[in-house]
This record gives sequence, structure tokens and C-alpha cells, in this order.
Amino acid sequence: MNKSASVVIIGGGISGNAIAYELAKRGQKDIVLLEKKFLTAGSTGRCGAGIRMQWGTKLNCIMSKYSVERYEHLNEELDYEHDIEFKQGGYLMCAATSKEMEQFALNVKLQNSLGIPSRMITPQEALEIIPYINTDYMIGGAFCQKDGHLNPFHTTQAFANAAQRLGVCIEKFTTVTGIDVDNGKVIGVQTDKGYIATNVVVDCAGGYSQYIAKMAGIDLPLYSQRHQILVTEPVEPLQGPMFMGFAHNIYCQQSPHGSFIMGRGDDEEPKDGRITSGWTFLEEMAKNCVKLLPLLKDLTVVRQWSGLYNMSPDKQPIYGHAPNVEGFYMASGFSGHGFMFGPVTGVVMAEMILGLSPTVDASQLCFDRFEKGQLFIEPSVV
Amino acid sequence: MKRTDIAIIGGGPAGLCASIAAAKMGAKVTLIERNSTLGGQLVKQTHMFFGSQKQYASTRGIDICKILDNEVNKYDNIEVLTNTTVLGMYEDGVITLDCNGSYKKMLPSRIIVATGASEKYLPFANNDLPGIYGAGAVQTLMNVYGVKPADSVVMVGAGNIGLIVSYQLMQAGVSVNAIIDAAPSIGGYLVHASKVARLGVPILTSTTVKSAHGKEYITGITTVKLDDKWQEIEGSESYLPCDNLCISVGLSPLAELLWQIGCEMKYVPTLGGFVPTRDNHLKTSIDSVYVAGDVAGIEEASSAMVEGSIAGLCASRSIGLTMTDYDKVLADYIEQSNSLRRGPVGDKIRQGLAQVEIGGQTK
Amino acid sequence: MIQKDGIATQEMIDSITPSAERRSKGPVAVVECFQSIPCNPCYTSCPRKAMKELIDINDMPQVNTDICNGCGVCISHCPGLAIFVIDETYGDNQCLIKMPYEFTPLPSEGDYVTATDRGGKPVCRGKVVKVVNTPMQDRTPIIHLVVPKEFSMIVRSLNINDIYDDNTYICRCEELTLGELREYIRKGYTTLDEIKRITRAGMGPCQGRTCRQLIMNEIAKLTGVKPQDQLMSTFRPPVKPVKLGFYAQEDTDNE
Repeated sequence: MNKSASVVIIGGGISGNAIAYELAKRGQKDIVLLEKKFLTAGSTGRCGAGIRMQWGTKLNCIMSKYSVERYEHLNEELDYEHDIEFKQGGYLMCAATSKEMEQFALNVKLQNSLGIPSRMITPQEALEIIPYINTDYMIGGAFCQKDGHLNPFHTTQAFANAAQRLGVCIEKFTTVTGIDVDNGKVIGVQTDKGYIATNVVVDCAGGYSQYIAKMAGIDLPLYSQRHQILVTEPVEPLQGPMFMGFAHNIYCQQSPHGSFIMGRGDDEEPKDGRITSGWTFLEEMAKNCVKLLPLLKDLTVVRQWSGLYNMSPDKQPIYGHAPNVEGFYMASGFSGHGFMFGPVTGVVMAEMILGLSPTVDASQLCFDRFEKGQLFIEPSVV
Repeated sequence: MKRTDIAIIGGGPAGLCASIAAAKMGAKVTLIERNSTLGGQLVKQTHMFFGSQKQYASTRGIDICKILDNEVNKYDNIEVLTNTTVLGMYEDGVITLDCNGSYKKMLPSRIIVATGASEKYLPFANNDLPGIYGAGAVQTLMNVYGVKPADSVVMVGAGNIGLIVSYQLMQAGVSVNAIIDAAPSIGGYLVHASKVARLGVPILTSTTVKSAHGKEYITGITTVKLDDKWQEIEGSESYLPCDNLCISVGLSPLAELLWQIGCEMKYVPTLGGFVPTRDNHLKTSIDSVYVAGDVAGIEEASSAMVEGSIAGLCASRSIGLTMTDYDKVLADYIEQSNSLRRGPVGDKIRQGLAQVEIGGQTK
Repeated sequence: MIQKDGIATQEMIDSITPSAERRSKGPVAVVECFQSIPCNPCYTSCPRKAMKELIDINDMPQVNTDICNGCGVCISHCPGLAIFVIDETYGDNQCLIKMPYEFTPLPSEGDYVTATDRGGKPVCRGKVVKVVNTPMQDRTPIIHLVVPKEFSMIVRSLNINDIYDDNTYICRCEELTLGELREYIRKGYTTLDEIKRITRAGMGPCQGRTCRQLIMNEIAKLTGVKPQDQLMSTFRPPVKPVKLGFYAQEDTDNE
């Protein structure tokens, strides 16, 4: 293993690999990416794999639009040998309450102003898109055809392969055991495979970000919460878009492969880092899904699993550097939507680390917003 | 009685080259071939030849056959008698022929004997079982008649023919279970050996066939290992299944005609048995009789072709014919002949030839 | 020993192996002719004169690897079929071997075959990327076979029967074949979970009940890590596929 590096990226998920690629693409040499297990072993490989631009804040709209546009051409850009399986089947946001309708209307207006082709839909229009929605529980909604699904494993691998071709060294099965800070500056990373001297560390360890930061003496206001999800046996193409409802607490999508992936949020989920499975999730998920999308009752569940949402106080990521430790950067606290923001995370962080002028100004998501009480409130999250 | 300048007996590579060389010198040539087509063993040699470009290296035997056949056809002064066997050679210089069933006599001024060789056989128990063939017969069945001779073969003999025929059996879709050879090392070119080895055919040296098994036809053989004194090692027998045992244990010069006419013969094992003494123009102890090819000593076809050319030139010269650059052309053939034998694999050939070559006419 | 079994020894192979530096620069001819025989087409056929002149026709061939560009013209001209071209720059982990192949049926481009060594023993799976069979080759077609780079000086023949059977399904749910699995393992996906994520093997209705052990065995074969020492993937409910509607039922057995 390398004894020194210009940049050490901690975390082999979408964020770490995208950052590695964008840094290398901009000419940065001697980048090492460390992953405790294998690529996508953490939150990336456990996520629901949805990609959407239907957000309620300008910055999230801009960031997601940037990401979607990159994803549209990523196979070619990264010269990937397989397919990242980007299916732009759309997102159908189901409004259950008039309050939700009002919010969607505001969102769509904002989105349209930023060039995102979303629109409000009636329950009748929703049925034209997904014929088996039970509209008894829907008063309307919003739809954007350009949203969709993306294979997290292949997408991450595509970034990793491209990064490696540009010289990035990816060390799998390597655990970070410490970060050495001297005089307020990062000087190296300890691992179970050896020591790497470096002045720049990027923490994108997903559900373990706060523990990595702690090694450098930094307290991140983050916690990791279990989220559960299930997958069915693949069936013939049935459902184009992701079906999503905030009030109904559901997201449900058919992957291009044919399987349905569905999940829900639950404030009662444990926050101790466990990623076990629970039976209540299966029951609630099944009941909710069968109620809203009755046709799906005959799909067979083949697996349930779980992963960690790395939650920040405002459910928005932190893109920034630590104020007290020079050379410590973080792309953390994604709160459940780190995968879809992969491309923008890569660009924002690479440009920040290299001191380049930003393609996307994400300074609102800086680390000290919490101290300053400038939380970034996004109305449209699960 | 038919008269001709030069009668060439045998239409294989040596005879063909002899005919062409003699025809170039202006001789009236009669080329006599026992089979219906010219080419001899070339007609079934689907592999590429060694040697240099002058001996058609890298060209397959079957294609050399066509090239030489076409060349022969270009000369009006070559008469080709196919389906014709020389029955006898007499001291008055007359040869008798069975020409397509008719009896013919011929009085040539010179005779070049290029009759080639026959396959040696091997004594072992039950060697009369159907399914035991000479390698040449198997090669003829496959490559001339397109008949798959067996499903699984054991080849006896790891000389060039054994190795090449094994390879061609594989090409024909026959599985070669093993190549065995009594000698402690492979006799053929190692590149040929490597060619079959990489197809997964085991080559078992110091191993011979002890007996064949089967009732109606062969179903397998018992092999036995030999020690460094070529003695069977007791208890080393092992069974190899096969439905064809292919014998390729060497060739003997087909020299009956030379014996008949009274050429001086010497037994030289490294040349395959009894071979005629000759000078470096390939003239035997009888002035009118020349030799070329395997009948003069078992070698590669490349050497046979060069020898044919030398014999053709020299036999013609001896009856007063010539051509521009004769000396230069002959010297080149002699050098080709020497260079083919110069390396280590030519050691035995050179040693053998030293015993039968009559000096005096070397240029 | 080659004199006894036709198989060149490691010393012989070492003596003709182009330097690592040369191999890293691109295709180069490897002439496996270890016997002084009267033969010279390798020299005369080379358009670049990269073969040292055979002053005596019995001289052994010697490739000047600085001049040789691995064009492969000599391959079909060698009567001993002893010339190969290796290209270790073909891919990150793969090399290309150009070899003579005089058997029918010829493999087709894209075919997977069993790549074999000098003794005909299976080494690995090879992919045929090109079959060169023009009048120039004069019925000695040249097969371009792609195999893992470490086998550039080991693979010297092929068996058209893919014993690493293309058609053997390892994961029947997601239709992953043994050949594909091996390629992934060689590419560095060396744990069950990585294989699963990139190929979906184990994600289907059986959830790895059929393929898990097979995949681990293959990983063991290719990496040397025994199945018991490999990272096991996570087992999750349900143990058999269950309809979504089943879970939506009320449990009426309330106590």
C-alpha cells in the first residue's frame, strides 16, 4: 500500500468514488481511496436507487439536475464496460393531503423555473401513468419523466474503474483506525494495512462518517439510522415511474431488471448503527403497498434488507471542511439521498479541495451552518 | 522397344524434381509412376515442409505436389506413364514395365531410381488383428480418401511420421490416446512433438507395444516400459484402449531394382537399411543408374527433392546435355543438400552417407 | 523433458521469454523452436527482418525483440507451428495470444474456449477475439485468444470445447454462467458480495441457495482463499419467496 498520498478518501461508496474520479480528472495525482469492505458495501449498495429532480429548494433542484444530466451520459463519459442502467421512467409524487398539493405546486413552479420538466397531475392523469394506483388515497400529484432509477453497484463501479484508469489507488478491505492531526493539520491516516502520510482527508464514509471525523477530533452533528427496504422477484415491465408519497410514507419502483424495490421511513427505527431486518417493516410496507398499489399484492418478496441513513440536523448533506482541522474535508450526512447526488458531490468536493471556482455553488451546505443556526430546510424528503 | 534418354522410376518428390531438372537440360524423360497420380507421399502430406524456400519450405506437401505436377506438365520432353510398374531392371539396360496391364520394354540411356521407401513393421503378439495399420496407410485413408480411419488411436513411433500422422489424426477428429516409442527420446522434430503435446497427447518414450487385444478387431494394447538397455521392465505393463494401432517405426528404402541390376549396396542403419553406394552426383556403382530420395537413404522430403534435381542434372550431363549456368546450378543444389544435413539432426545422415559415398567426383 | 514428452521445460521457456520491459511495450513474437533443424521460413517470412539471419539453415531462430512488432506473419509460415505472438498490453489484466490453429471447426470470434498449456492441459478460459484465415495464412489460421495476463507464456493451444462451460449456469435465477463468473473474479470481484452486486447472482428468487456455494468454490479456485475463509454474505428474510399480500394480512391470532 502507498505510504503517502496527496488525498486520502475514506469510503468506497458513490461519493468517495465520484470524488476520486473528479479529483483525478482535474489532474490530481496520488489519490488513495480506502474502503473497509468492498465498493458499495455500505449505504450506496443498500439504497433504493431512485434518482429525482423534484425537490423543494433551489439548491437541491440545481444539484439534482446537474447529477441527472451527468448520469444521462455517464456510461459514455466513464467508458464503462457494462451498463449503469439509468432508466428515466419518471417519479410520480402522490399527494395525500391538500398541504402536500400546495407544496408540490410550489415545488413544480420552482423546478420549472430551473428547467426541470415536472408537472402537476390529477389522479386521473396518475392512472394513465400507473394504471393500478388506488386513487382513493390520492388527491393529486406531481410527475417528472426525467427522474428514474440507476444501478448503484454499476454506477459506483463505473466511477471506480474510471478513477483507477486515471491513477487512483483503491484499497478495498482496508480499515481506517486513526487519523493523525498535528498542530491543527491532518498529517496522516492509520489503517490496518499500514500508515499513509497525507495532508488531505475526505470523509465520505456514509453511515460511519461521524466515527471517522471523531478520529480527527471533529464532532459531526450526525447520527445513523436504519432504513429498511425490500425487493421482489422480477416480473415483466409493469410500472414505469417510481411511485412516491411523503404522507403515505412509501416509495416503490420497478427496476429495469423487473424486480420491484420498495421502502419507507420510520422514526422508530434504531439509531445505534445496526442494519438488521425487522418484521414490522415487512408488515407495514406490505399493507401500505397493497393499499396504494393493489395489483402488486401478488408480487413475491425475495428479500428484505436494511442500510443506514446518515442523518444531519436538517436532513441535508455537509459539503465542506472542518474549521479546526486543516485538510479534513467531508461529504457526509446525506440523510438518504447521497446516491442520487453522486455526480454533484464529486464535482463540488473536487473543486473545493483543489480551490477551483465551483461549477455548482453549494456553500449553503457548509459545515458551520449548524453552529450558525442556518439550517437548510428541504420540504420534500422522506 | 521404347527408347528414352532418362527413365525415372517413381513419381514422388525426388522423381518429379529429377524429371524437371533433366527436362531443363533438354533430355527426353520418361517418368514412370506406379499409382494413377504423381506425387508419391506428397499427395497425403497436408503439413507444411521444413527447409528453405528453395525446397518449398512453409508449403504443404499437397501443394508442392501440385506445383511440381504443373511444372512437369510444362515440358513436352517429359512423358509421364502412370499406373505403370517397373517389373525388372536388366544388365543390358532394359527395363520391363507393366503399363496399365500391357507389357512394355524400355531402353533408356540413364535410369534414375527414385522408388522411395516402404514402412517397417513390428513383431508383437496379435499383430495381425484388424485395426493395426501402418501410419502411411492411415494417412492415405484420411488425407487422400477422406475416410476417418478410427475413433481412437495409439501411435507406435515418435519419429516425424508418427508425430505428423498423430497430429493429422487429431485434425480428422480422431482421438490419439498416446504416442509410444521404444527409444529413450523423441526421434522426430521437437516442434512436431510440441504440436501434439499441446493438444494433450501423451508421448511415452522408452515404451513399446507388447501385445494387441481384441477378437474381431483391436480393442487395446498392452504396453511395456523399456530400461536403458532396451529390455522390458517387468511389471511395467499397462493397458491402453484403442480401435486402431498405427505403426510408424521407420522406413526401409525400396531398393529391389537396385539389387536386381547389381548396384553395390551397403547396410547403413541410420539411412534405413541397405542403400546403394553413390558419388556426390548420385551415380551408383553402375554408370547408367542414378538414385534419389528415400531409396538412397531415408531423409526428409526436402532432401529428396534436392537429390532428385542433382540426379536429373547429372544424369543428363553424362549423356552430353547441358545448359547455361549448369555448374552454378548444380553447385547450388549440392550446397542446399549439404546445408539441410549440416545441423545436429543431420548428424546421423552425414555419418551414414560417409559410409556410402564414393569420392572422386566432388566439385 | 522435451526430448521425452515434447513439452519444453521452464528453463527453455525462460530462455526465449521476452523481457518484462519488452512485453510491456506491445505484441512480440515468441519462437518455441528448441532444436537445430534445417529450416528457415521464420527468417525469410519476416517483413521487418526481426529474425536474426540464419546463416546456416540449421541455426536456431532468434528474435530481435526491438525490431519485432508482433505482426504475426511468421506464425503461419512456421512448418513446426512453433511461433506465437503475445501481447501483454491488450488489457489491464488480459493478454492476447496469437496462435496457429489447424483444426475444424474453427472457433468463431467471441467464442469462449478452453485455453491449454504446452501439455494440452486446461489452464483457463480464453476468449477468441479474432480468427485470421485468409489465403495469406494458407490454411494455417491464426487464432487471437485473450486470456489473463499471467498466462501469456503458459497458454499455447486451445480446446474448442469450453470445459469452463459457457453454458453452465451458476446462478440460474439471474443467469450467470461459470465463464462470466470467472471473468468477474479475475477482474477483482473476489467476494461473494461483490459478485452479487455486480452480477445479481444471488439476488433472485432463490437468494443464493443454489449459487452461493458454487461461487465460493470458484473464488477459492481462482484466488486460493478457501470457502471457509471467505467473507459470507448476509442472510435476510424471507427464507422463501412470499407474496406481498401475504404480509398485508392481519394477524388475527391476538393474545
